[in-house]
Amino acid sequence: MRNISLIFKQFSRSVLLVAGLGLYTLNANAQTDAAKGEAIFKAKCTACHKIDQRVIGPALGPQLTSETDDAYLTKWIQNNQALIAAKNPKALKIYNEYNQAGMTVFAELSDADVGNILTYIRGEWKTMQEAPKGGGGTSTAAPQETGPSNLVIWGLIGVIVIAFIVILVLNKVIATLERLLLRNKGLLVEEEETEATKEPVDKFATVKRLAKNKKLVFFIVLCGTIAMGSWSWTTIWNTNVHSGYQPVQPIKYSHELHAGAMKIDCQYCHSGAYKSKNASIPSLNVCMNCHKVVKTESPEIHKIYDALGYDPKTAKYDSTKAHPIQWVRIHNLPDFAYFNHSQHVKVAGLKCQQCHGPVQTMKEVYQYSPLTMKWCIQCHKRTEVNYKGSGYYDNMIEVHDRIKRGEKVTEAALGGIECGKCHY
Amino acid sequence: MDSNKKYWKGLEELNKTPEFVEKNKHEFAEPIPIEEVLSGAGLSSKTPRRDFLKALGFGVGAVTLAACQKVPVHKSIPYLIKPEEVTPGVANYYSSTFEGSAILVKTREGRPIKVEGNPNDLLSKGGLSAHAQASVLDLYDGGRVKDPMLNGSDAGWAQVDTFVKNELAAIKGAGKGIRLISSTVHSPSTLAVIADFVAAYPTAKHINYDAVSYTGIIQANQNSFGKAVLPHYNFDKADVIVSFGADFLGTWISGEEFTRQYVQNRNNKSLESKKMSRHIQFETGMSLTGTNADVRIPVKPSEEGLALINLYNAISGTSLPGSKPLANATVDKAIMIAAKELQAAKGKALVVAGSNDVATQILVNAINSMLGSYGTTIDLDNPSHQYAGNDAELVEFINEAKRGEVGAVFFMDANPAYNFYANADLKEALKKVRLKVTFADHADETSELCNVLAPNHHYLESWGDDNAVEGYYTIMQPTINPVYNTRQAEQSLLLWSDSPVKDYYTYVRNNWDKNLLAKGGLAGQSGWETLLQNGFIKVADAAAGTYTFNQDLNAVAQTILNQSSKLAEGNKMELQIYQTVAMRDGKRANNPWLQELPDPVSKVTWDNFAAMAPADIKKLGYNQGDLVKVEANGYSINLPVLLQPGQAQGTVSVAVGYGRSKGGAVVEGGIGQNAFPFHSFRNGTFQTSSPATITALGDTYLLAQTQTHHSYEGRNVIREASFKEYVKNPSVNSGNEGEHKKYSLWDEYERPAYNWVMAIDLNACTGCGACVVACNAENNIPVVGKLEVSRRREMHWIRIDRYYSFNEEGKEITEEREIDKLENFDNVSVVHQPMLCQHCDHAPCETVCPVLATVHSAEGLNHMAYNRCIGTRYCANNCPFKVRRFNWFNYWNDSRFDNYLNNEHTQLVLNPDVTTRFRGVMEKCSMCIQRIQAGKLHAKMEKRPLKDGEVKVACQQTCSANAIIFGNVNDPESEVAKALKSERTYYVLEELNVQPGIGYQVKVRNTSSELQA
Repeated sequence: MRNISLIFKQFSRSVLLVAGLGLYTLNANAQTDAAKGEAIFKAKCTACHKIDQRVIGPALGPQLTSETDDAYLTKWIQNNQALIAAKNPKALKIYNEYNQAGMTVFAELSDADVGNILTYIRGEWKTMQEAPKGGGGTSTAAPQETGPSNLVIWGLIGVIVIAFIVILVLNKVIATLERLLLRNKGLLVEEEETEATKEPVDKFATVKRLAKNKKLVFFIVLCGTIAMGSWSWTTIWNTNVHSGYQPVQPIKYSHELHAGAMKIDCQYCHSGAYKSKNASIPSLNVCMNCHKVVKTESPEIHKIYDALGYDPKTAKYDSTKAHPIQWVRIHNLPDFAYFNHSQHVKVAGLKCQQCHGPVQTMKEVYQYSPLTMKWCIQCHKRTEVNYKGSGYYDNMIEVHDRIKRGEKVTEAALGGIECGKCHY
Repeated sequence: MDSNKKYWKGLEELNKTPEFVEKNKHEFAEPIPIEEVLSGAGLSSKTPRRDFLKALGFGVGAVTLAACQKVPVHKSIPYLIKPEEVTPGVANYYSSTFEGSAILVKTREGRPIKVEGNPNDLLSKGGLSAHAQASVLDLYDGGRVKDPMLNGSDAGWAQVDTFVKNELAAIKGAGKGIRLISSTVHSPSTLAVIADFVAAYPTAKHINYDAVSYTGIIQANQNSFGKAVLPHYNFDKADVIVSFGADFLGTWISGEEFTRQYVQNRNNKSLESKKMSRHIQFETGMSLTGTNADVRIPVKPSEEGLALINLYNAISGTSLPGSKPLANATVDKAIMIAAKELQAAKGKALVVAGSNDVATQILVNAINSMLGSYGTTIDLDNPSHQYAGNDAELVEFINEAKRGEVGAVFFMDANPAYNFYANADLKEALKKVRLKVTFADHADETSELCNVLAPNHHYLESWGDDNAVEGYYTIMQPTINPVYNTRQAEQSLLLWSDSPVKDYYTYVRNNWDKNLLAKGGLAGQSGWETLLQNGFIKVADAAAGTYTFNQDLNAVAQTILNQSSKLAEGNKMELQIYQTVAMRDGKRANNPWLQELPDPVSKVTWDNFAAMAPADIKKLGYNQGDLVKVEANGYSINLPVLLQPGQAQGTVSVAVGYGRSKGGAVVEGGIGQNAFPFHSFRNGTFQTSSPATITALGDTYLLAQTQTHHSYEGRNVIREASFKEYVKNPSVNSGNEGEHKKYSLWDEYERPAYNWVMAIDLNACTGCGACVVACNAENNIPVVGKLEVSRRREMHWIRIDRYYSFNEEGKEITEEREIDKLENFDNVSVVHQPMLCQHCDHAPCETVCPVLATVHSAEGLNHMAYNRCIGTRYCANNCPFKVRRFNWFNYWNDSRFDNYLNNEHTQLVLNPDVTTRFRGVMEKCSMCIQRIQAGKLHAKMEKRPLKDGEVKVACQQTCSANAIIFGNVNDPESEVAKALKSERTYYVLEELNVQPGIGYQVKVRNTSSELQA
């Protein structure tokens, strides 16, 4: 299967190359204008427009293909408000279609500039339209790249097991046949039999001899007990400790990309961490702040659109199609332990990474800390209270006395390791 | 010095019945049958070793298998589009209104989980009744009607609308009457909707019908002063209060408001200024108000009218025709003394009567007029709108319907099929009505008789407003999307009357913009938003005018005397119908929190009963729990007998609100018997007393009564003084006189930052039980049901112990002389004591826990780590206050508790900040540690010190009487530190030197030596 998709990919690339070359030769003359147009387009238009897609304004590729009246277009781009004011029917139609959100006026663009933009967009749109035909192979093959299904794996295992059994049976058959052959020859049989009876006797003898060595037996038993003991000790202590737990999430969201490469602040999405006990998973409208325009073609982003019932073509939401995204919870604190993010993030001023680890390098998030009570307590015993600049501690005279005496005022010293701090 | 006064919770304790002694010997009434197992087929059988190995093998195997189970994958589902104002994990508060009181509704992630008082509320200043606290649970009642119903089957709203509108058009065409029957509506917008409906259908008429009616007072005021209103009473301005059967601290008109007012003249502040009101109560059955009275005189219903006439005579110095001295010398004497005291306190006196009889209330008006109460303690110019029911109108409706003059009837928040006395008449009448619509939220008794059930929203899902008292307008806003396919009754009426406004929110908004906002000095969008934030507007009170009574009383006196003689006729028992604080009129009977709240007086849960005087019971040869048939007015029910000290001899009291046959899974299990049909319609109003016969049925019935659960083995925990003694020596009876050296076996704990303590003023606590329900809601306390309560396994973290004592002025009782006293249980006084974990500094529970599951904190709290507890129950055994509760079941995962926690709907009310406890774990009051932690965190985030009063525990917050003060005693300026400095402060069982964190303040009673006979 993979081979097929690879072939498709290669094929599509060659098609693209040929098409590109063809265009190049055809539009060699227009190329310079298109380059100028591209520069202006990227500077002035991309905030609201894409060539193949509706963003805030219409998708310009199809729009400019159907609208060929360049004189009208020039007027529109330079001053659409004037056209609307003049009640130009075409202008009014599109104005109303886009909820009467007028386009920015670009009076500074000359007719030639506009012409260049138009040339660029039309050329680009043509290239795009030809490209997907070749790319179709990749998109249809894409889902299969997710890896072999469970059925295939179990099938393979089954086949291997059966093959193994067949080999064993065949070996047995071959051995019997050989023995038969030898017996028919009537020579080697007895020799072999004597050898076969002698060897097991020797083997048992060594085992028996070793078993009589009490020191050795004691040593082995001791080793065994220690091994079993330490194994069960660690197993019991690690029961329900899930460090490294890394479940598969419904959307392949990468913290490495967002928090690492893009350096987006944790609280941009997990806004609850500053004000609530829950850091909270962002609701999808937070994603849409960027992904209305960024990476709109990615199948992962389309999962967001599907969940919201959002149609990127019309930029409309259909709440009847909306359904929530079921993330898999990674950090599972038991119900009887109360934990409050704001207490740690806002009051104590901890970095998220202290408990969650290097999230900015995680492609997929895993549980970094053990989240055991021992782990909590250790931190509370070590960490000094962040009292600087907080009026909260103003009236706590005893606390001040301790500080004056040079004592360390840790969380634990203020009752931070008492049961009722977290269990109620 | 302790007094030798003996306090007892129940007669079984006083008499030391063998059953009581046996049950009290052990911390847990039903021991685990370990000895049976050991002495039976367990150890003595022939193959114990093999059995042991089998069990061991199976156990290890099972545990291993269980441990092999994969850790479940938890899903985390965020909002698709998060509403801006919601932060998961942070509660939002919305102002709304409950029965006219401004409230705050706490919501988490879009669901209301707790109702709290609005501290600026005019009526109770942040206090809330048990009913208000419990109302949030009704929202998640799985028994609510989920879809509109047409002729008994589910239908869509469109279908219902077409049906009703077609019917209404036909009825309008035929010119037949349309009646809208509701319990009192005091919402201006609802009244406007009803007015619009009446305008659209001119044959329509609105009838206010209250199950428990105040028509008597309203008509008496019409008669006396030409004002058909329920006056606004000012108990805070009264120095002498005389009540004739009015339970004004509990169920009478506006209990929470009156509690707040009443306590102002009796709490610590008032006592320190050497001022205390005198409260004399004449009543039949022991009411919550009666338990708080300084002097309580039991009177029969037939004596009540006579007593009032005599009081009038004594004050006026005249004699009404036909008046005669009372046969009961105690009452007669008390009346004379009450008259003297009332006269001495002219202008600061108040007489109230609970009767719904017009004549009686006219007489009360006359007395109040002589005492100059109008304009001071009684305000007729800023009246209360809480009840406006007109009994005669409902009776008239039944007659009209029987004559076939009524074409349609609408029941709005009214359930007459359950609470109208002439049930059969109503059924017959409704048969002749073509269109019967009810807006009930449950399929109740009335909905069975209706063809349309158009389920109303719960109030937490509704828009609306209220006007409980003249000039006080509160707004109601929804705090959750409707849980079921219900529609607000007002909206239905708007649609059916073809109103131009189809949406009730818009209607309310328009009504406020047009008529109400301006009254509060607000306007426009910003005004509306201010209103939603504040929850209410208050128009300045009109000046309370003085009114003088100058009508002829001869006829009135004659009516009263006739009624009295009728009641006393034939020497029968006299039956009194009353409301309990927990159940009231039975509207919220399907609420398990309220069912399990022990009645403040009888401490009975999950049932009503026939309360009788111990002397009568002895005379008739009954025992507590014997089933008797109570028969009156041609109706009879079978009820268990309850010994009620303080009950007037020759009377029996039965509570209404029980015996609902329909209306949800909880009540349909069968709780108590319906006492509403005992009412009678006399002289234009519903009357609550009648002669009755009692016959024994020879059967017994189990009452789940908590009064003797958690006893102290006779140790004295109550300290009490009379006001006279207190004035002489403020620390009298508090044990604070004289210094003595304290020794301690344990080291003192360091408390560097906080020391959380509590002060409870026994003089302010009325025992109403609101704190118990508030605690249930805040701390996820399971409801265990009647059977478990009877096994002494109720889970309430805070309980209110009610102690009786004999009135012995200046005399000390010895054990021998008590026996002589057993005959007379009429004259008992009562003390209520809220009891919760005392957070002892040297806690006995901490020292016995083998796993350190309960330990002390650096903030003076006694922590309880549930996940560490292994359930040895040693702590409960060692607790001298008996405040620890053991989880005998997984209440949230056990089919026996389907009515409450084991139900996916009701689980939505749980507080997510508090763990639900597992079977086999001990629990107890945590002093709302989640609130303390949240308060501290809030202060830390704002980088400022925690302010006193910022953290309020749930019981404190809901207390209208402000009897509970909580705070940090390390701060000498804190309210609690000041309260604990009072000379009255004592600690329960302080001789044990466990150093409790809760200080109680001595109960002071303004007794009169003349009245204590």
